[in-house]
Amino acid sequence: MPAAFQLENVTLRFGSLAAVDNVSLSIEPGEQVAFIGPSGSGKTTLIRLLNTMRRQDEGSLSVFGENVSEFSDRRLRELRSLVATIPQHLGLVPNLTSLQNVILGKGGSRGTLRSIRDLIFPAHDDQLAVHEILDRVGIEEKLFERISNLSGGQQQRVAIARALFQEPKALLADEPVSSVDPARARDTVKLLTELSKERGFTLGVSLHHLELAREFFPRLVGMRNGKVVFDGAPESLSEEDLEALYELSDEEMMEDA
Amino acid sequence: MKGAHGRIRWVVFCGFLVFLACAWALDLKPGGLIPPDAEHWSRTGEFFKAALNPAFDYQDENVPDDADSIWLKGFKGLLLTLKFAFGAMSIAIPAALVMGFLGSSAWWPEPCGRGTQTVLSAVYFVSRFVMSFVRSIHELIWALLFLSAMGVSPLAGMVALALPFSGTLGKVFSELIDEEAREAGLALKAVGHRPLQTFLVGIFPGALPNLITYSFYRFECALRSSAVLGFVGIETIGLYIELSHEEFYYREVWTYLYLLLGLIVVVDLWGAAIRKRLHSSAEAWKV
Repeated sequence: MPAAFQLENVTLRFGSLAAVDNVSLSIEPGEQVAFIGPSGSGKTTLIRLLNTMRRQDEGSLSVFGENVSEFSDRRLRELRSLVATIPQHLGLVPNLTSLQNVILGKGGSRGTLRSIRDLIFPAHDDQLAVHEILDRVGIEEKLFERISNLSGGQQQRVAIARALFQEPKALLADEPVSSVDPARARDTVKLLTELSKERGFTLGVSLHHLELAREFFPRLVGMRNGKVVFDGAPESLSEEDLEALYELSDEEMMEDA
Repeated sequence: MKGAHGRIRWVVFCGFLVFLACAWALDLKPGGLIPPDAEHWSRTGEFFKAALNPAFDYQDENVPDDADSIWLKGFKGLLLTLKFAFGAMSIAIPAALVMGFLGSSAWWPEPCGRGTQTVLSAVYFVSRFVMSFVRSIHELIWALLFLSAMGVSPLAGMVALALPFSGTLGKVFSELIDEEAREAGLALKAVGHRPLQTFLVGIFPGALPNLITYSFYRFECALRSSAVLGFVGIETIGLYIELSHEEFYYREVWTYLYLLLGLIVVVDLWGAAIRKRLHSSAEAWKV
């Protein structure tokens, strides 16, 4: 079975800065991976490469066995409908209901006209399916509630529901717990890993909270300055590895000062 | 903080210097606001006295007996003013939506290939240029141009209003589209939505409440501008104000002004009610 994501010597630059620098990485189908590292280490950019929203400058990227480097826009869209993304700021439409937002998750495979119809007259089957998913993530009573009337935690669950409705083969989440309290953060990460096991999709999550990454993920990928500096099980993450990941270099300390 | 305060003081000081320079260049004198002689004093007094005593009947004695009452005439003038404003906005809003869409970038595909980006950037700059051009000329100047070309026709007035309004609306629409729902747009593109689809089902619904709120505000502006078109001969309430003013019938002027004020207040309340519904009611988008 081909890897869910296969990166070979991938580099992506913003100007002279390499946000992702010569990264080689393979993530197997159904695997659960947490990307850890300090701010600016390249985690978000890596996620945007994996979900094909960015094209690498060098190297090659395969998603589910297909080299996406030369994909046309159309084929990229087809592929994206298999890879769900939960962006850091969730990307929900605030004045639409939970139902409408969740249904938009399938827009990639349904096309423009169908999406407009879904927004105005959602099909009965879709309503049932969305209700079931919202029930699974614990907010079924919010089906017809507008996003702007939901709490941060509830909005996060709608974003997870949108990803689930897509029936993805892989789910990527960029700092999904950066704006919620620690208790809720733990619940969210737990929910994501449970869902990944339940439904068998590959899970890639960038996380600021090292403890949560260690507790819930069998594989951690540590990044620093765009490079992968650690890749392994949480048990094998040593003090030296942590130092290499998080400790400020003399140069950075000078910059902070 | 100290630095910020220092900067603010510096900006205020520079602003004051610019004001003084402009005042000097324009030869402004505080005395310019004071009537120069007894005749002007008495006319100013009359004008403000008339504010407390608006006309309930024509001041002009030559008005035939079978003519409409001043109130009916005023209401008809308001109706004409409304018609022009409505007409202009119904041309301006669709035009602004198209230009706002073309002049925004939130819906562009991602990643955007070099060829596509070149074409989209060209469209973006052309629509921005068109919007800047039509709004840089005031509606009164457009009206004068159209009136000299087409004669005093209602369509000339309507198009004269619609042109700069579509430019202003389009510019604000494009900014709202780019700012309001960029995140939602990105999220939808990431799951395979097409560019137009991203715009129609994600970005546009996200920006819609603010688009409506702003359109209402511009409708209010269109009402005032439509009244002003009366001063160049188009039949709105502004024409009646102008004619009464020319004859120094200030009490009539105030009657028309109060009617216009009433209309603006009604439109403002209507807009506020819709804004409230859009922004606070969870029912608004319920399916």
